[in-house]
Amino acid sequence: PAGAVSLRRCSTRVTLEGVNRPVIDRIIRVDHAGEYGANRIYAGQMAVLGRSSVGPIIQQMWNQEKDHLKKFNELMVAYRVRPTVLLPFWNVAGFVLGAGSALLGRKGAMACTVAVEESISDHYNSQIRTLMEEDPEKYKELLQIIKQFRDDEREHHDIGLEHDAEAAPAYSVLKTAIQLGCKAAIFLSERI
Amino acid sequence: MQVVRCQLAPPQRALQASAVLRRVSDELKEPLGSSSQQQFDSHPADHQPEQQPQGPRPSYTGQGGQESEDYESEEQLQHRILTAALEFVPEHGWTAEAIAEGAKTLGLSVAAAGMFHSDGSELILHFVSQCNTKLSELLEQEQKLVQLGEAEKKPTDQFLRDAVEARLRMLIPYIEKWPQALSILLLPHNIPSSLNLLTSMIDDIWHYAGDQSTDFNWYTRRAVLTGIYNTTELVMMQDSSPDFEETWRFLENRVADATNMGNTADQVQSTGEAVVQGLMGAAVTIKNLTGLNQRR
Repeated sequence: PAGAVSLRRCSTRVTLEGVNRPVIDRIIRVDHAGEYGANRIYAGQMAVLGRSSVGPIIQQMWNQEKDHLKKFNELMVAYRVRPTVLLPFWNVAGFVLGAGSALLGRKGAMACTVAVEESISDHYNSQIRTLMEEDPEKYKELLQIIKQFRDDEREHHDIGLEHDAEAAPAYSVLKTAIQLGCKAAIFLSERI
Repeated sequence: MQVVRCQLAPPQRALQASAVLRRVSDELKEPLGSSSQQQFDSHPADHQPEQQPQGPRPSYTGQGGQESEDYESEEQLQHRILTAALEFVPEHGWTAEAIAEGAKTLGLSVAAAGMFHSDGSELILHFVSQCNTKLSELLEQEQKLVQLGEAEKKPTDQFLRDAVEARLRMLIPYIEKWPQALSILLLPHNIPSSLNLLTSMIDDIWHYAGDQSTDFNWYTRRAVLTGIYNTTELVMMQDSSPDFEETWRFLENRVADATNMGNTADQVQSTGEAVVQGLMGAAVTIKNLTGLNQRR
């Protein structure tokens, strides 16, 4: 029937011509893994501290991470990027990290948030630099998204600090350990 | 579009070989009265029939300061030779002889076969890459038709069956010699390329089937389809039924198995979740009954 022709625009498809595949692949894969892990971390924290006074704040940050993950899911399909094999592992590791840090108390949870969000924003910053060096015009949309997310993560970092993250037990040790873990996770997710 | 370049012979050897065969072919191309293939009014400057405009690609034929009209790159020349060689595969197999015959039809010297490995690897990889490209184009066109509303969107299992069948049918003209090709593709020095070609083909099929998974399913689906494709290919090698009916039936069964597996996995997961819910409910009830659930 002529009237019922629906020209469904390929809205999930992005022009893949001229895109630097290896670079974009890595960026999207690792960012997707990162948001997935962050989701699980907050889930772990909520499981322990959900009914405490910081529950609503963690919930709010978690909701933002869920949005981030959704966005990267879309980008992943659009750019035809494969997800990292380690996703099941990040699933468990993230939850354990979140729950573990929350068991150290609210400050412990906040310290974990500060450490992770700082790692992530540094990481987003270096990706922004890479994309700017490549071709700011071609990757305009991606750049916009990453900049927005970087700002969100910075905000989470600041919220963590506001809620006495630095007063957590063994703060500097905790922070260093977590950030080391994040660096390893980023390295692996980019490649595998 | 996924195009993978075949392994190329060491560039220097190929460079010299190609320059040599160009000069040889130039000499051979002088219009001979007895040759029925040559044009009798050919211009002396005209060499092989012109291919598509090459653009800024470097020409390797300028060694004697003489440049030919078609600025063809090394790689494009190799492509042309290999494509021409495919015609001779049913007769000679995936060998240097087939490549030599192919080169002859293009008016080049048989020494052109020296540009390639003696085991016919590049010819096979070139063929596989061509088939994959054809499949992609086919799937792309089908997708366009569906988007324009001129065709129905197929259910996933039907789509997968049709895509794998279409791809395997491309082997039919070469089916006699295909087992030989498969064994060559499994040689260690060919495995990276052949694996690459296989995975990108499977990824293409899933992409056009509408796969949007971003979790571990991405891997599961591709692994399953790779298994289906490989086993069906092997069955096809030994199938002697008319138009390979047995093979397509085998394919249908395997795809049905895979779909069932997926459904069963979903069912198991739902059951598991239901059981967990039940246990949680029981635990809460017990806590209530024993008064452990009071907030203090």
